[in-house]
Amino acid sequence: MLDFLLRVFGKDASSSKNVAKDRLRLVLVHDRADVSPQLLEDLKEDLIKVITNYMDIDERALEVNFDNSDNTVALVANIPVIKMKRNAKREEKIG
Amino acid sequence: MGEVIVITSGKGGVGKTTTSANIGTGLAAMGYKVVLVDTDIGLRNLDVVLGLENRIVYDIVDVTHGHCRLKQALIKDKRFEGLHLLPAAQTKDKTAVSPDQMRELCTELKKDFDYVIIDCPAGIEQGFKNAIAGADRALVVTTPEVSAVRDADRIIGLLEAAELRSPKLIVNRLRPRMVKSGDMMSIDDIIEILAIDLLGVIPEDEMIVITTNKGEPAVLDNKSRAGQAYRNMARRITGEDVPLMDLYADLGLVNRLKKFIGFK
Amino acid sequence: MTNIRGAMVLKKNKGSKKGKKLFMKRENSFEVDNRFEFEESEIPAAVTKEVETKAAAAKPISKPVSVGNEPLQQAIADENTILIKRTVRSGQSIQFDGNVVVLGDVNPGSEIIASGNIVVMGALRGVVHAGATGNEDATVAAFKLQPTQLRIANHITRAPDGDYVAPEHPEIARIKDGVVVIELYQMGQDRQIKIG
Ligand SMILES: Nc1ncnc2c1ncn2[C@@H]1O[C@H](COP(=O)(O)OP(=O)(O)OP(=O)(O)O)[C@@H](O)[C@H]1O
Ligand SMILES: [Mg+2]
Repeated sequence: MLDFLLRVFGKDASSSKNVAKDRLRLVLVHDRADVSPQLLEDLKEDLIKVITNYMDIDERALEVNFDNSDNTVALVANIPVIKMKRNAKREEKIG
Repeated sequence: MGEVIVITSGKGGVGKTTTSANIGTGLAAMGYKVVLVDTDIGLRNLDVVLGLENRIVYDIVDVTHGHCRLKQALIKDKRFEGLHLLPAAQTKDKTAVSPDQMRELCTELKKDFDYVIIDCPAGIEQGFKNAIAGADRALVVTTPEVSAVRDADRIIGLLEAAELRSPKLIVNRLRPRMVKSGDMMSIDDIIEILAIDLLGVIPEDEMIVITTNKGEPAVLDNKSRAGQAYRNMARRITGEDVPLMDLYADLGLVNRLKKFIGFK
Repeated sequence: MTNIRGAMVLKKNKGSKKGKKLFMKRENSFEVDNRFEFEESEIPAAVTKEVETKAAAAKPISKPVSVGNEPLQQAIADENTILIKRTVRSGQSIQFDGNVVVLGDVNPGSEIIASGNIVVMGALRGVVHAGATGNEDATVAAFKLQPTQLRIANHITRAPDGDYVAPEHPEIARIKDGVVVIELYQMGQDRQIKIG
């Protein structure tokens, strides 16, 4: 009932125009930053390079994406960690 | 010295040609010398929208290739002394003209006309590059739909990259009723996303179809709401300050009631 | 006797004798220039393919038909003729040094430019230019003659603005006394009755 009322009065967050607006926002972040799938792939590889200096991660399960929940756009990375490296910093210095 | 205004959109079918014809005719009705240039080579439309299709002898490709003089190719409008059309070629393609040739052409036309209105083809390829080459300012047409707004955004980026700063937005085919019910993006929504200045809003209007059928732009029809919107727009182009018309004025009892209760 | 009928101009306003114009609106004549010179390369592939069939169109017709001052079959036999067995659509351009015969319609937005005559066995709604290299005897004939624009040699005519009656009979356009006139197309000149 409330949903119906909200809809009638055009305040429903899920009304199709709001859906349109949200989708546009997201798609424009990609467009404007010229974020191609290739760029995301490159970003992923660089992330892996840096992170593996500190910890072992599951590279195949790594996910990098843009997320637009709550009207903001965020870069969201899901990186499953297998184990931490003990002397990460020192190893790097020696290497 | 006149001004070259390109009317572009990215997405096809959003109303570039309709807008070019109406703004051009509107400016001519105000007494300005106007030339409309159709750069949609291979898919020319502006001639039929203006009802001038049977007067074409030479076209823009004949001019740029030196087959005729510029003056020979300009078609005089049947209604307004000051209105002219430079038609596109129908039997060639976009590569028949180059950006340099367009720049030269615009420079020539600017000498004789107050406004040179360029109807751009859809897309971002050669035809688009030709159309914007000689332009001093740009108007971007969109409809309140995700795909059209996205393409408008892309075009705005390309215009800025081509040093055509601060293009203005035209929102076409707005349906006030749908905006009210939350099923169409409002002007504010679109402006918020695209972050550019608004030149005007044209409502969805059957008269556009009827006037196009007859080859008489809606801007000349006093009863058409779209015509009114185009008249206002033409005045804004000349620098006048004209307020946006109220598209929500007569939306029926329920909506008036809503307004009354305060759910604006 | 000749039936001179401006089919493209006859307006629908009944009873008004004044509205019955005889000729298509005449634009200023223009110079025949390099736009209408013919180059072999300009003939679209689809057209050249059909050139071989031209002999068919050159076959003598049993009843003599008059075109300008010479019988039609002779005019056709003397020159190159191509037969186009399809509808000519918007954006297509057929340019030919000779006569052009179309078995199909010629749609708005298309153009046919010929140094000789143009015959359309269908509706002619595009732009046509007969006698494009300056031949004032060239003619344009069609089952439905409703061209966007019609040119013969250096004369240009176009349909009048506003409504006009769609032709119900085949018609032929030619230059008479320096003006392009449209006449009912009939077999044999003796059967053409003057109503103009
Ligand atoms: N405000 C309106 N109300 C109703 N119909 C409209 C309106 N504006 C445009 N149209 C219709 O939309 C169609 C496309 O318009 P138009 O040809 O002007 O678009 P365009 O952007 O020039 O297209 P293209 O990209 O193919 O050149 C036409 O049929 C036109 O009549
Ligand atoms: Mg267009």
